[in-house]
Amino acid sequence: MAETAAPLPAGVGIGWRPEIAGWVAGRIAPAFCEVIAESIAPAATPRGVVELRERGIPVVPHGVRLSLGSTEPVEDRRVAHLAACAAALQAPLVSEHVAFVRAGGREVGHLLPVPRTREALNVLTGNIRRTQAELDVPLALEPIAALFDWPDDEYTEPDFLTALLERTGAVLLLDVANVYANAVNRGQDPEAVLDRFPLERVAYVHVAGGAEHPDDPGLYHDTHTHPVPSAVLGLVELLVERTAAAPPIMLERDGRYPPAAELEAELDAIAVAAGHLAVVR
Amino acid sequence: MTPESSGAAERSGLAARQAELVAALIAGGAAPPGFDAARLDAARRALVRKRADEAAKAWPLLAASCGADWQRAFAAHRAGHEPVGALRDGWDVARALHRRGELNSGAAAELAERESAFRYDGQGAPHPRRGVRFRRSVAKLLARR
Repeated sequence: MAETAAPLPAGVGIGWRPEIAGWVAGRIAPAFCEVIAESIAPAATPRGVVELRERGIPVVPHGVRLSLGSTEPVEDRRVAHLAACAAALQAPLVSEHVAFVRAGGREVGHLLPVPRTREALNVLTGNIRRTQAELDVPLALEPIAALFDWPDDEYTEPDFLTALLERTGAVLLLDVANVYANAVNRGQDPEAVLDRFPLERVAYVHVAGGAEHPDDPGLYHDTHTHPVPSAVLGLVELLVERTAAAPPIMLERDGRYPPAAELEAELDAIAVAAGHLAVVR
Repeated sequence: MTPESSGAAERSGLAARQAELVAALIAGGAAPPGFDAARLDAARRALVRKRADEAAKAWPLLAASCGADWQRAFAAHRAGHEPVGALRDGWDVARALHRRGELNSGAAAELAERESAFRYDGQGAPHPRRGVRFRRSVAKLLARR
């Protein structure tokens, strides 16, 4: 059973982080925001997030530690926390990743890829259904950026995603920067890969910055601490051409914050690429 | 073998391989067979850089004292050691540099302040020292008046 595509308003948003709360509150009018679910307590939401809701701006809880791709069943307390965040924020949807973050009793502190196999598809489907059963709102799934693949992949990434969304009825959080990163690092054409994703299932879109690192020439790192490359904005333009209506789109910035003017210019560039109104006041 | 038990066997195989991969990436384990070793190395280094960025937020004076060398200094002490959270990751680096007399006055003061406020055995979570807890609760009581 397919969930209806997310009721987020069209426009440009941003990932709310405590470090940029003052700037988000005072300088921009985002169409929506996202907050890292594990960084907030639903009973004591940060003031900056409460103020966004008071301004009528939707806030989407974005999970990073459910570990839907772990072979163990997703933990009830983590699902309950995500559901409580959605309720506290009156969120129109929530999101998580197609990834695992722990195994063998160890926490990675980052998102790792699952093998694109039938077995992993079964594991993910089970955990996603368990999560959906506790949620009152749609779940959007985000494919991650990965620096390596498993040796036993049976599916391409777009085919794997399509199968997963068909089985679970989840919608797609498409991170265009992740599509770019994975295509570059696999020696594929990013535009051709983007075309094969189930774009009709897109609920909203992420973009973020990245760069090569001097230690790994030729390898693109999706860092969230660098500017968004023009090639990623080019992919956003292509995505908008391929979709009936320009999807809601947001910038993820997770550190090394530049001066406000630079972030504002970046949001403006995203708005232009996506055909949305500017968000800078 | 029923389909269910075959599925369970597949999953337990996947569980073991996920654990093996995680050990290789963060705990100094051997690269599991079949993976691109150079890519796993790149992922391992990227994970340490991310931890260094997070530790720099928890230990701003320590990171500043290392300047452009912070990432390298952090990796030299923490690569191959499991992540223990930004506070403890940075604490372990601070103590190592302190032992070698390599902390500047700001970073040394940052470390000294935390050593006096918390008991940290280098193994588990740091605990507030009793006197500090007492002074804090007194301060809270006074603030309530």
